[in-house]
Amino acid sequence: MIREENGPSGDLIQGTLEMLILRALMGGPMHGYGVAEWIHQTSQQVLKVEEGALYPALHRLELRGLLRAEWGASENNRRAKFYELTAQGKKRLHAESQRWEKLSAAIALVMQAS
Amino acid sequence: MHPHLHEFALRWKSLFRRRRMEREMAEELEFHQAMLREKLLREGVPQTEVNTMTRRTFGDARRWRERLIELWQFRALENFRRDVSFSARLLKKSPGFTAVALVTLTIAIGATTSIFSLINGLLLRPLPVPHADQLAVVHSDRSDYDAFGYSFCAPFFRALEKRHQAFQDVAAFTNSTMQVRSSSGSVEVPGAIVSGQFFRALETPPLLGRYLTPRDDQPGGGPGGFGVVISESFWRTWFNKAPDVVGQKIIIANAPFTVVGVMPKRFIGADPTHRPEIYVPLWAEPVIDAPYNNIAGGYHAWWLAIIARRNRGVSLEQANAALKTDSNPILEEAIPDAQWIKDAQTHHFEFVAESGSNGFSYLRSRFRKPLVAVFTFCTVMLLLACLNLASLLMARAAARERELATRLAFGATRRRLIQQLLVESLLIAVMGTATGIAVSPILSRSLAALLLGHSHNTFLDTSLDLRMFLFAATIAAVAAVLVGLIPALRATSKNLSDQIKDGSHATSARQRRRLLPRALMGLEVALALMLVVGAGLLATSLVRLYRTGLGFDPKGVVNLELRMDKQSLDGNALLRWYQKFGDSLAHEPGVKSVSFDAVTPLSGSTTTITYHTLSNKRERTLYMNTVAPEYFRTMRIPMLEGRDFRWNDTSASGNKIILNRTAAKMLFPGQNAVGQHVAGWPKGSQLEVIAVVGDVRYASIKKGAPAGAYMPITQSEQKKASYTAVVRIDGPPAPLASAARELAARMAPDIPSPVMTTMSGDLDASISSERMMAMLSVFFAGCALFITAIGLYGTLAYATARRTSEIGIRMALGAQRVQVVGLIFRENAWVAAGGLLAGLVAALLASRALASFLYGTSPRDPWVMTISALALGTVATTASLIPAIRAALIEPITAIRHE
Repeated sequence: MIREENGPSGDLIQGTLEMLILRALMGGPMHGYGVAEWIHQTSQQVLKVEEGALYPALHRLELRGLLRAEWGASENNRRAKFYELTAQGKKRLHAESQRWEKLSAAIALVMQAS
Repeated sequence: MHPHLHEFALRWKSLFRRRRMEREMAEELEFHQAMLREKLLREGVPQTEVNTMTRRTFGDARRWRERLIELWQFRALENFRRDVSFSARLLKKSPGFTAVALVTLTIAIGATTSIFSLINGLLLRPLPVPHADQLAVVHSDRSDYDAFGYSFCAPFFRALEKRHQAFQDVAAFTNSTMQVRSSSGSVEVPGAIVSGQFFRALETPPLLGRYLTPRDDQPGGGPGGFGVVISESFWRTWFNKAPDVVGQKIIIANAPFTVVGVMPKRFIGADPTHRPEIYVPLWAEPVIDAPYNNIAGGYHAWWLAIIARRNRGVSLEQANAALKTDSNPILEEAIPDAQWIKDAQTHHFEFVAESGSNGFSYLRSRFRKPLVAVFTFCTVMLLLACLNLASLLMARAAARERELATRLAFGATRRRLIQQLLVESLLIAVMGTATGIAVSPILSRSLAALLLGHSHNTFLDTSLDLRMFLFAATIAAVAAVLVGLIPALRATSKNLSDQIKDGSHATSARQRRRLLPRALMGLEVALALMLVVGAGLLATSLVRLYRTGLGFDPKGVVNLELRMDKQSLDGNALLRWYQKFGDSLAHEPGVKSVSFDAVTPLSGSTTTITYHTLSNKRERTLYMNTVAPEYFRTMRIPMLEGRDFRWNDTSASGNKIILNRTAAKMLFPGQNAVGQHVAGWPKGSQLEVIAVVGDVRYASIKKGAPAGAYMPITQSEQKKASYTAVVRIDGPPAPLASAARELAARMAPDIPSPVMTTMSGDLDASISSERMMAMLSVFFAGCALFITAIGLYGTLAYATARRTSEIGIRMALGAQRVQVVGLIFRENAWVAAGGLLAGLVAALLASRALASFLYGTSPRDPWVMTISALALGTVATTASLIPAIRAALIEPITAIRHE
């Protein structure tokens, strides 16, 4: 699903992708391509979201009410579907990032053990 | 909003915007690809390679879109849709099976829903009035009568009406045919005589004006005479919906009545089987019924039904408790006869309230049991049809084993497969139900007509309502499960490798010996036998009823009912009118003889009088009829001794009487009755026996001929007696009907046009429920035989088709064709024999339930049992021999090559 670019292949769990999408949208509404680009850029070209996973994830989040979608004009004046965090989405992002912090700290602890 | 709810709402919305959603998904992915392309161009990828590179990174857009669409769908719904179209294709591929399934289910479901609609109309549907659940019907109960008394005399009702502990309103009513004066003479209109609280109890506001209240129900009516309330249809047909109808007068039974209100269309009174057009107050009864008077009849006239509305918050039990304590005071208040009261008290007389939400109809007691019995037949028939389809499906599923196994191997879950198989049976059931419901209105209407005969003022509302739809839906669901579940469970139960190994070829013996399909077929045979036995018993009983000697010859006799009670002639003038009318009728072409009677035999009405002889004071009850001269010749009742009445046999020339054979033997044992005298009525007079005639069945065709006597109409003291003209004709009755109507209109312009019926038709009507039961059960039995034959044939044919190669090998190894026939035939022979045996035992046990419907036929009639078993056995043998013979005609070489 998500793989590290140029790294060994291996998918991160689906929940992580959803968390990344929610995080990407924290800055405001974005279309799908924008979300993928933002993750790609922000991770300094390490993470690349596949389209086949991105859109189902976006739609799933929309169905669950974490995102709200609306059609608008893109930066180059084309019709695009913009996603935006709902109040629930924000709550969820908060919970997820806390969980992630705990988890990554735990993993770091394990990996740095002497 | 709850996340699941949110999801459901969005999916639900997407169901209806599918096209738009798919377009938007495509557009969203398109946009993404466009952005990718632009990026690649910006990064300096040559134009020619951009498209290929986009495609490589993006993959197949269509696939992503599919996944998105799936995400938005209801999984279950989508599966269901696919199963339905798959099953429809399968059913289309085997038209034979589908046709059998549809026809059998249509018959079974159509019949079941039709009977249910009759039951619904007669027994279940609540009255269309507000809060019908608070209504109660009152009956009286005493230990020396089996049947509940739903009829009340006016004094009882008036005493009950005053007491309000448990009831808000207590009302009495009776149905009555009213003679309404129109511009072209008198017309008979169905009506109801109702007490003051009737409309208040039914709580339906009038469409126009007001309804009748206790102030209208007074002797002589209100200040302006009697008021009436009319129905919407009467308002429409008689007043052309005139808005000023309130206050207008109508003439009923020669008396003026003032219209005070119009009831809305939905209001039908308190009897669901009648549609009164006119409601008159109870105190107007002597006017309506003139020259009779039931109110003056006091406690001798039992003619009212009572319906009441309970006070809010009073339960039926509480109402009953209050009625019980009231019973004695009411008895003492209403009945002036101390002996009667004492008699009633020793037999624990009391009033009882029962639920009255669906009103009261006298037809219920007559038709409840036959309808329930026929409904049971239908249910058995439906069960039979379902079992039959289950067996066929099971046989077919066996042929589909490989398909199912392959699907299991590809990862389909068992649940999913069962679901698909059930959808198939559901589809059959829903289609069968739909066609069944489509035919049921016609069927139920004709059944209602058959049951009610030509009692033209009764009505059975068989229209569809919510209850009917729920019933049909339940039937469809039950049928689907009955038909589909067992085959589905079985077809998917076997372990996978077994299935693939066995495939559709030579099946192992272990598998063939499976018990379940045989048990189902055996059960089917047993049920079919029960239906056939039931039909045989009912039909035999009906035939015996028709063959039974009535004592007269109904063929060629027509009855012409004359209502003379409201015209101006009476006494001798009326008698002369009858004589003249009879003479004129006798001159019509085709008429052989004409007479008159007061009681039409077998019509259900009876008159009894007690007589004694001069030497023996012991009172004997005789069933009476008042007849004109020529009666015995017209009815073909044998005159054993003596002479017929004459038109000059008046009281002045000495009272005369004619006895039937039983009465003559009873009153004058061992003597010649002619010339002797009896006394009893008219009081203080002696009557000379002038003849003895043959016995006649009187009250009912089912009861033997009672002791009876005849008086001449020339001796009757009734002022405006109504008689029925009895006419023996040669040829069809239709021409006479119009001639008689014209004659009556010319000779008595005031009377309502006489209704003509044929005696054989009246006879049919008097045993309408027996006829309905016999006809339906014979029809069901025929269907059951047919269905069972198809089932036995179908399952065996499927099973044999799968053994083609085995049979080929057997024959190649030297098996004779006869042996092959035996081999295949044996399979079904055991099933049929077992089913017949079980069915015979069950029929012997169950047929007792029919005993009360049978006439002169034992519920264990050995002939009926034997012939039924033989008939079913023959059908089963034929159905099983066909596939067996076909199997024997297999050419061994082709059969083995067939592999």
